[in-house]
Amino acid sequence: MKELLIVEDDLEMQEFYKDMLQGEQFLVTLVPNAEEGLKKIKEKKYDIVILDILMEGITGDRLFALLRKESRYKEVPVIMASVLDEKTYRCFQALGNVSFLEKPFNKERLLNEITKRLESQK
Amino acid sequence: MFINKKEIILSINRIIFSSLDIRKVYQTMSNELLKVIDFDRLSVTLITENNNLYETFVLSKDYEYTNLKEGVLYPMEGSLMKRVVQFCEPVIVDDTSKGRFLTDTVLFKEGIHSRLGIPLEYKERVIGSVNFGSKRKDYYSKKHINFFLQIAPQLAMAIENTRLFNKIKEAEEKYRTVIETSPDIIFECMKDGKFSLMSPSVEKITGYSADQFYNNQGYGLSLCYKEDQERVQNEILKILNGQNSSLMDLEFRVVNKQGIVLWLSLEALPIKEGNRIIGIEGFCRNITERKKLDELKDNLIRDVTHELKTPVAKMEMAIDMFERSTVPGNEHVFGKSSQIHEILRNNVNRLKNIIKNILDISKLESGTELLKISDISLVELVDQVISELKDTAGRKKNVLIQQLPLNIPIIKADRDKIHHLITHLVDNAIKFTEHGKISILGRILPNEVELTVEDTGRGLDKKTRERVFEKFYKETPSTFGSGIGLAICKNIVQIHKGRIWVESEGKGRGAQFKFTLPISTNNN
Repeated sequence: MKELLIVEDDLEMQEFYKDMLQGEQFLVTLVPNAEEGLKKIKEKKYDIVILDILMEGITGDRLFALLRKESRYKEVPVIMASVLDEKTYRCFQALGNVSFLEKPFNKERLLNEITKRLESQK
Repeated sequence: MFINKKEIILSINRIIFSSLDIRKVYQTMSNELLKVIDFDRLSVTLITENNNLYETFVLSKDYEYTNLKEGVLYPMEGSLMKRVVQFCEPVIVDDTSKGRFLTDTVLFKEGIHSRLGIPLEYKERVIGSVNFGSKRKDYYSKKHINFFLQIAPQLAMAIENTRLFNKIKEAEEKYRTVIETSPDIIFECMKDGKFSLMSPSVEKITGYSADQFYNNQGYGLSLCYKEDQERVQNEILKILNGQNSSLMDLEFRVVNKQGIVLWLSLEALPIKEGNRIIGIEGFCRNITERKKLDELKDNLIRDVTHELKTPVAKMEMAIDMFERSTVPGNEHVFGKSSQIHEILRNNVNRLKNIIKNILDISKLESGTELLKISDISLVELVDQVISELKDTAGRKKNVLIQQLPLNIPIIKADRDKIHHLITHLVDNAIKFTEHGKISILGRILPNEVELTVEDTGRGLDKKTRERVFEKFYKETPSTFGSGIGLAICKNIVQIHKGRIWVESEGKGRGAQFKFTLPISTNNN
């Protein structure tokens, strides 16, 4: 089973993720901030990391930049999820292996994005 | 009385090379001249550009003093000088008591009874005259004239050189003051990376003294922030290679002596020697404060965007979740909930649009958003808008037609923004039209294209026509929309350097929203 790590500080958003991914073939780990996200990533290799951008403390984009700086995590596939438009994230594209999911999204778009990401890893 | 000519020429050379201080030149000159000719009063007059008389120097033998009347202007009219200059020939006055010239009268009172004026010519232009005065009547003769005509050219040269030198010195002092007091860094740098000029302000900004720049080749670039170094170097090379004729507003970071990162903006031009580029000159401005403000502004817009959009996004997701969770079957509950659901969805959409519009205009107005210019086909864009809005128009029984000339040129513009602009104008036309026709027309003008969105709808009265592009303007408070859409349209047209306006015959007689976009003439 594919393992997902979702870093999201908004409790309601966490509920949406849980609801949408319920019954799907994923092992989902939800953490509320970038620090814990980093801890999890260090413990285990995830198939996909979904990052919220604007969070208290370390923001999602900074966590992403941090990951790309370390050779061990260079290849971790990332999905950035945010209400900000795609432009904000565009500069991170160069760092590789990342896609953008604009909020709000529905179940189909989330699953579609995850599938696309997983397939591009093969 | 006269020593030989050779000696005099030597003396004159001494005058020329004595000094470049105008006082000293005159002093030397009068001393030398006194050896060869007797006078009680000597003056050198120089003509100003507007032909006033400019008496710079008067020497009186009796008092053994020199009196420099710098900057005192005398009128040319009625003077001996005028005659000397006019005819460019020496003039002798044998007896000043006769008052031939106005100046004779003045000098007669000072005890001067005869005069001699010799023109000073330099490069075939009379620049002034040397004038002698004697207490004796009938003192000066043809002999003096002949002698003086021989040395006059050298005298003229000495005086003109000194005058030019002083002008240059003055200009140089001004230039130096500008460089020394400028808050910007003014510099000249040769092709080999050596600085030939670096203003002192560099120390205030970077903490490193100008000397450090003079003594170290390529010092400027080494202070550059690592990530910006290559970019700056490339831009400078483009100037040095002649690929670029100027650098405007190149923003880059430097690390100052305290290790603090500063933002500078560079403007530069090539230094040329004939056709060869030998270096660059320009100035650097400290824009750190501005950059900080820009960053604050960007962050503020980002945070506000986040705060406004997040709850709406979650509401939308919640509605979606709610929709999926209702089980169709119980007709009553389903009907009721679908009605509630419809209201929720409509209002969330409305709120979403308002927020989007407000954010769009704040981004446009703050200049945070840069245009993404590309070649765009207006025909294709209009067709796209029509296909997107056909259903909306149809719901209000409106016909939507495109009548653009086929040869409308490709223009350079931001595709998304122009799409937004046309969409909004058409959408707006649909809003105010029922059972009518909305046509998109085009015209090619000399340097621009004009697009018209014409409807047969409600029309606008004069007051509304004048105010319709204002932010938050609405005809009546109950008119739907945020009242910001047309303000955005205006902004989009303006940042593309076009014009936008509305024409209408009045209430109930339809409206024509028109805008122009420039046709780019260059091929870049």
